[in-house]
Amino acid sequence: MRRLAVAVPVLALVLAGCQAKKAESPPEGKPQTEAGKKYVIGMSQCNRGEPWRVQMDTDIEEAAKAHPELTVLFKDAQNKSEMQQSHVREFIQQKVDAIIISPKEARPLTKPVAEAYDAGIPVIVLDRKIEGDKYTCFIGADNVKIGREAGKYLVELLGGKGEIVELKGLMTSTPGQERHNGFMEGIAGSNIKIIFDADCQWLEPNAQREMKSALSRFPKIDAVYAHNDPSAHGAYLAARQEGKGREKTIKFIGIDALPHEGVRYVKDGLLTATFQYPTGGKEAIETVLKILKGETVEKTITLGTRIFTADTVASGGKEL
Amino acid sequence: MRGRVWHALSMLGNYRGVIALLIVFVLGCFYTPVARDTGLPIFLSWRTQLDILFEYCEYGLLATGMTLVILSGGIDLSVSSVLGFSATLFALLTIGYGWGIAPAVAAVVACGLVAGLVNGVLAARFRIQPFVATLAMMTAARGAAKLVSGGIKVQPAAQPWYRLTEDTPEFFRWMTTAVPGIGMQPATILFLICILIMAVIVKKSSYGRKLYAIGGNEEAARLAGIPVARVKLQTYALCSMFAALAGIVNCCRQDIGDPEAGFTFELDAIAATVIGGTALTGGRGGMMFTLIGVLIMAYINKILSLNAVAIDRRMIIQAVIIVVAVLIQRQKRGQA
Repeated sequence: MRRLAVAVPVLALVLAGCQAKKAESPPEGKPQTEAGKKYVIGMSQCNRGEPWRVQMDTDIEEAAKAHPELTVLFKDAQNKSEMQQSHVREFIQQKVDAIIISPKEARPLTKPVAEAYDAGIPVIVLDRKIEGDKYTCFIGADNVKIGREAGKYLVELLGGKGEIVELKGLMTSTPGQERHNGFMEGIAGSNIKIIFDADCQWLEPNAQREMKSALSRFPKIDAVYAHNDPSAHGAYLAARQEGKGREKTIKFIGIDALPHEGVRYVKDGLLTATFQYPTGGKEAIETVLKILKGETVEKTITLGTRIFTADTVASGGKEL
Repeated sequence: MRGRVWHALSMLGNYRGVIALLIVFVLGCFYTPVARDTGLPIFLSWRTQLDILFEYCEYGLLATGMTLVILSGGIDLSVSSVLGFSATLFALLTIGYGWGIAPAVAAVVACGLVAGLVNGVLAARFRIQPFVATLAMMTAARGAAKLVSGGIKVQPAAQPWYRLTEDTPEFFRWMTTAVPGIGMQPATILFLICILIMAVIVKKSSYGRKLYAIGGNEEAARLAGIPVARVKLQTYALCSMFAALAGIVNCCRQDIGDPEAGFTFELDAIAATVIGGTALTGGRGGMMFTLIGVLIMAYINKILSLNAVAIDRRMIIQAVIIVVAVLIQRQKRGQA
């Protein structure tokens, strides 16, 4: 009897829950198909712990705002491939109209993305690739080109000769390697010499420490090429802390150009230039819209880059 | 009325965790997105229910071993790293050296046992606190994972000398694909079999009784003639063995041998064990509690994920639910 006293209300709750779901109008953000023109897009981000990836989500959100028929469901896999696999499968079950995914790792996500693709859901892959060809469209930027543009810019800025420091990103990662190789192509044939370089693993404190070593070893440094803006900023701070005013003579160049990082540093006069590594968020929404309208899209879309300097930062940078 | 409810609750005996699980389940029913073609709540679909088990089977295997260690009054922080090492080694043996599945599984499980024996020797024979001993193993096993893999993720053609250059072994897909008719993945079935066997062993065997005795009062157990050191050795070895199995599952699921796999999983395993109702002080609890704990954690995560709850709110909600679940457990101690 007493057991019943518990069981009955609990059961009632369960039933009420299931009942309510059918009677209620669908919860916000999940319209049903009969509405016709409403679309739901699932976005699986691999790690919102990185500012650049938060920016990607923001870009998608901003772009989607202009189209009231779109609703985007954002999920964060917290840097775990298993969680991202679940995200894709949940989106398939929910029958979203399109999936945007920025994968943590190619192999683990190849199968779930293929399942979505086979189920007839268009999949846009952002920034990092997956294996095979069972996806609708890949959108990514070209790190080699960005590195090359940075190299060419430095050659011009320093008049073809000078002694510089390179603060690298994690050199076991592809972006680190590509930003270095591109840069070497860019400065090839000039008299620019890299007198000091270090793997800073994208981290500002490491860059600051390495730059201090460089400053104490070399009385003359013309410029610093950092693989990301936080590293360039760290180098600037190291020069300022040295107390000899060298932060005013050394040119600091960074990559990424996030609004709250690189672009702001350029605006404040800390960095000479930063090169944008675009997130592709806006382009992803544009591509989704094309697909939903029934248009065909390119399998691979390579994004360009923009340079932000003191002259161009107010007008949103210059396309390269 | 309140008295009657509590009385009814006490009839559930030690299985109060079921209530917490039911509450979470009901939450899931209320708060679920619907499939956009059929209009049915996704949470209640059979497939979602099976996915929940599948997604948590690695944590479940870790929690199975963790429960044994915690029952003995110890703790094992190294399970996450042993998982990572096992995933890497399994990938390396099958993909890199082209071993068959059976010898690779045997080798990985053997390595797991060795890691557990080292933990056990440090904790039982050398009397190093389990927290410290397994902390050392956590660091060492992670290092070993990076060492054997050469610091890279093990996948076909990752090194020029790897035997497999195109695809991972068929076994990887088999483990993670639902068996027709049952609808469950072999990985899930492995977890359920492991935890059920251990439930019987803990409850019925003399090993189980010794485990409770040691966890309850180690000195008394020693005086009663129980071979404390040997039981502890067995316990840590079993725990690491389950972590090795979890590593194999992780490798199959990720389709890659990731030396970083399992990072911080030990905390989820401990959380699942404690939420289920096994006392961290040892000697109280059991395997079926842990199954309930694993289910509670898995359901919470699935519900939050299905609804695309943003990470900030998600972490806070998770914390609140964990505390509530443990409080529901605690009531019975007050009464008993």
